[in-house]
Amino acid sequence: MIITRRFAGQLLAGVAVTATLGRFDLALAAEKAVTVALDLSLTGADAEGAKRVEYGALLAFDEANAAGGAGGYKINVVPMDDGSATAGQYDPAQAATNARKMASDKSVVAALGPQMSGAGKAMSPILSMADLATITPSSTNPDITDPKFAAQYRPAGKAVYFRTVTTDAYQGPNMANYFADVLKTKSIFVLDDSGAYGVGLADAFQGQAEKKGIKVLGRDRLDPKAADYSAILTKVKSLNPDGLYYGGVLQAGVKLLKQAYDILPATMVKGGGDGLYGPEILTAVGFPAAEGWYCSNASPHSMVDPKSQDFIKRYTAKFNVQPDDYAITAYVGAQVIVDAIKRVAATGKPVTRSAVRDAIQGTKLDSLIGSVEFDANGDLVSKVVSIFQVKKDVAFPLEDMSAQLKYIGIAPAT
Amino acid sequence: MTASDLLLQQLINGLSLGAMYALLALGFTLVYGILELINFSHFNVFMIGSFVGLYILQAFGLSGQAVILTGLPLAIALLTAFVGTMLVSGGLGVVIERVCLRPLRTVKGPAAMITTIGVSYILFNVVLLTIGADSKNFPNPLPDVQFHFGSAVLRLREILIWIIATLLMIGLYLFVQKSRMGKAMRATAQDPEAARMMGVEVDQVIIMAFFLGSALAGAGGLIFGLYYNFTSFIIGFNAGLRAFTAAVLGGIGSIPGAMAGGIIIGLIEAMGGQVVSVAWTDVIIFSLLVLVLVFRPAGLFGRLAPTKS
Repeated sequence: MIITRRFAGQLLAGVAVTATLGRFDLALAAEKAVTVALDLSLTGADAEGAKRVEYGALLAFDEANAAGGAGGYKINVVPMDDGSATAGQYDPAQAATNARKMASDKSVVAALGPQMSGAGKAMSPILSMADLATITPSSTNPDITDPKFAAQYRPAGKAVYFRTVTTDAYQGPNMANYFADVLKTKSIFVLDDSGAYGVGLADAFQGQAEKKGIKVLGRDRLDPKAADYSAILTKVKSLNPDGLYYGGVLQAGVKLLKQAYDILPATMVKGGGDGLYGPEILTAVGFPAAEGWYCSNASPHSMVDPKSQDFIKRYTAKFNVQPDDYAITAYVGAQVIVDAIKRVAATGKPVTRSAVRDAIQGTKLDSLIGSVEFDANGDLVSKVVSIFQVKKDVAFPLEDMSAQLKYIGIAPAT
Repeated sequence: MTASDLLLQQLINGLSLGAMYALLALGFTLVYGILELINFSHFNVFMIGSFVGLYILQAFGLSGQAVILTGLPLAIALLTAFVGTMLVSGGLGVVIERVCLRPLRTVKGPAAMITTIGVSYILFNVVLLTIGADSKNFPNPLPDVQFHFGSAVLRLREILIWIIATLLMIGLYLFVQKSRMGKAMRATAQDPEAARMMGVEVDQVIIMAFFLGSALAGAGGLIFGLYYNFTSFIIGFNAGLRAFTAAVLGGIGSIPGAMAGGIIIGLIEAMGGQVVSVAWTDVIIFSLLVLVLVFRPAGLFGRLAPTKS
């Protein structure tokens, strides 16, 4: 580069501006602020659900800031996206990069996310080394918090991966109980989508199904980027099981549901986990293909709870879209972070990420999903799995999740 | 379901899949035959074709899974969708050639191929950022007519796909074999220098190859949407890679090879899923590709061209 006189002038001006801005930053810092990072899958197949989760978290932080911050600390939110175009959904490599970004930014005292377990597996070890706690509003793979895998997912020892949902160690088996006890399914075919979440959920389901005496006629793995599942569905049809269970998210789910409608008999019981519980089951799959599918959520169905109604009103007014259960768990997750910062600030000690982690561990918060407390691994003490079934109700818009996904009840615990 | 019904059903599945791969493989082969260039932007011309088809069908009021048109209006809507999609995606192919590839034609080495990868990513990300990441519901305008053979089911949409794909392939074959332009294309493919000396407008031939290949990819995209009832920004990669494999398997540069390669890959995908497991499909397909290339390096129908340098 040739430095001309004119360029040198611009350079000097630039330096001057930067210097002023720097002083401005210092002035702000005197007002006491902390940063909370978000990590969600905003690019790809789960984008619609991610937006709702993000809004839930933003609402809680905005409300806290409007009320004078958390214990006097203003909360700055830095959203990050772990979805990538090449993956078409969450991308573990991007999630790890985001975790490193959070860890290296000293102003970040806590994080919210990720949405997906595959991303969580990549992030947890990095967050552990940084002693930075995160609260996931929807990732349910049990391995991440399982003490058996502590060396892998929390090498520094302390729990850093907290959840405002329960895990697939309950979501899969409880659904298997529902298939066996209520739906009287005798034989089943199990599919997953090759992802960390999907494989784990399908394994958990299959294990309990076998214990319950359901005959597992086969197990196969879908490539989420392939378009055609007619070969495997024709095989399922030929084996003629009573039921089909799919562990996975919507990238493969959309295609599976559409093609299953064409190929499998309508009488076959079909279900999946919370990976199917998203707006796209109605927008991209739609009726008639989605009709009759069961899905679950690893949280109580707070949307119908009378005490959630005010939240739903505030959320809808602000973002112009309906929340869902995981928007509520995100809202609660953000409240847990705000509450932890408040408690640290109240002790008069500096609000560091280690102090916030310890405070989150000791959370006792009454929230929209009931009482929030964590065990030593970061898992939610209360373990509720809700079941839904897609049932067309022409009285409501066909894309309205709260109307078209009928709440069946709480899945039977083992 | 008896074993023979099952075989028949997987045959139907495989042929539909294969017809789509074949249409897409033809585009690779047409361009490769003339320019010896592997055109990776083709992947996402296919994807854009499916979106163009979606919007044309929506303009006819077709959306969701309801059958609202029958008879002649439906035929007109479908015909318009096919013609419109093929013109738009064919045009896109021509623009890609004119803007991104022609300036590089005299450059030796992989520059042109890398450019096509770049164009592919541009198209992919433009759709991702403007239309969005979620899967789109594609209308299914065809009446639900089914034919049963034992417990195997053949649907109207499968028959339609076979008919459309066959017509397009026959049309292309006749065009290349019989028309003046087709003759010029074959001449250019054999020896561009000699063709130029004989008065062939090589630039026009290349534009034609891009137009035809991209138009077929667009038609493939529309067929994809009609068959699977969804489309998304990501559909190009998987289908494109399979189709490219089909073109190489059949012998890249050979039109009958592309057709046969597409059908073979489609059938393997269906049968492999049935007999082994869908998780192993890619392993089976690519092992077969390696095996064929080891014994027939030019592919099943391809010829190594000794005259070309």
